Amino acid sequence: MTAQKASASLEEIRRGSAELTNAVGLHARPSVKLTQLAKSYQSMISVATEPQGPWIDAKSPVKIMRVKAPKGTTLYFEASGDDAAAAVAALVDLVERRFDEAEEEGHG
Amino acid sequence: MANVGIVIVSHSAKVAEGAADMVRQMVGDEVPLAWAGGNGDGGLGTDVGQILAAIDAAWSEAGVAILVDLGGAETNSEMAVEMLDDARQKRIVICNAPIVEGAVIAATEASGGSPLDIVKQTAEELYPQ
Amino acid sequence: MMDKSTKLKLITDCAECMIRHAEELTALDQAIGDGDHGLNMKRGFEALLADATTLSDKPLPDMLKAIGTQLVMKVGGASGPLYGTLFMALAKEIDEMPTSASACAAFASAIEAVKARGKSELGQKTMLDVLIPVHGVWVADGGVGLALAAKAAADATMPMKAIRGRASFLGDRSIGHMDPGARSSQLLIETITAVLGA
Repeated sequence: MTAQKASASLEEIRRGSAELTNAVGLHARPSVKLTQLAKSYQSMISVATEPQGPWIDAKSPVKIMRVKAPKGTTLYFEASGDDAAAAVAALVDLVERRFDEAEEEGHG
Repeated sequence: MANVGIVIVSHSAKVAEGAADMVRQMVGDEVPLAWAGGNGDGGLGTDVGQILAAIDAAWSEAGVAILVDLGGAETNSEMAVEMLDDARQKRIVICNAPIVEGAVIAATEASGGSPLDIVKQTAEELYPQ
Repeated sequence: MMDKSTKLKLITDCAECMIRHAEELTALDQAIGDGDHGLNMKRGFEALLADATTLSDKPLPDMLKAIGTQLVMKVGGASGPLYGTLFMALAKEIDEMPTSASACAAFASAIEAVKARGKSELGQKTMLDVLIPVHGVWVADGGVGLALAAKAAADATMPMKAIRGRASFLGDRSIGHMDPGARSSQLLIETITAVLGA
């Protein structure tokens, strides 16, 4: 799955989604990577595990870690701001790259 | 603007060093990081001199967030902070958060360039309210 | 009131007393703590003894502050910061020529600082169980009988149950042993009152 151009809303919300395919899902290390990447963008970025939310601040390491989404979950991203499109693309790419984790490292 | 530094203070040198390892491996090198732990003779304890040295090593213009484990670690961290000059004292916080998780979370927040109060607040979100 | 020779004698007598009682303090601490109190205090007071001449050249508040800093850095453990806080807080409040009343007031605020540092109160089997009763006697009787009060107070820590510090891990098993911090506080008070003739 790839980042999709947002359906033209007034707030210029960009959306994208990707399935968690790494073994441990959104555990500690992936959560840290996700929030770090999100923080590198100016936009407001939210994550959800359902298309309709509830939405969680992608820049909050504590909130992201609490999601505990297992492998197979689809993560939905929403971003608004100047670099929203790039942010969503980068986050989707991170998930699709399996957070650059070597799978044999086990629980992360 | 520099990132907030993280100092880990545990009674055990191994816990402190291990927590620092986790921060390095999970969060990376963008945050100044140092630890203090053990009584210097291989036993459990914390030492104000060691804590001061760790604060120095992790010093950042953005300030330093300290993560502690049990009682004495907090007491001695407070003592160390009070022994610094006023300008530095104002830029140091002790986080009320579990030491290992708090260190990783605080460092994650710090690595994004967040200011000291936000780093502390994020680490403290870990405790259920 | 406080000439250089008195200051020097205060430092050397206190240091020699701590060094002399190191093994006893260690034995007390082995019973209920981590067994390092005697050695830690000895290390700290040896450092003070080595610096005694320089320290006693300073004005009283500066001397007390320097002693506090040395104790924090050299004693280590939990007692270094607690004794360090006691002396540093005394330094803040005391004047060069203290009267018994002004010294007593400074002592009161130093006790408050130790309470805050250790987050502890009277009756928790700590050094405060000597400091606070001694202050009470000082207020009541104007500086007479402080050494006796200190001795009685240290003895009174024996039946107490520790709820602060390492000794608290023992719970009821801490009962029956004198608190090593209470003992070292008693020794210091005895020594200081002897030097000052109080």
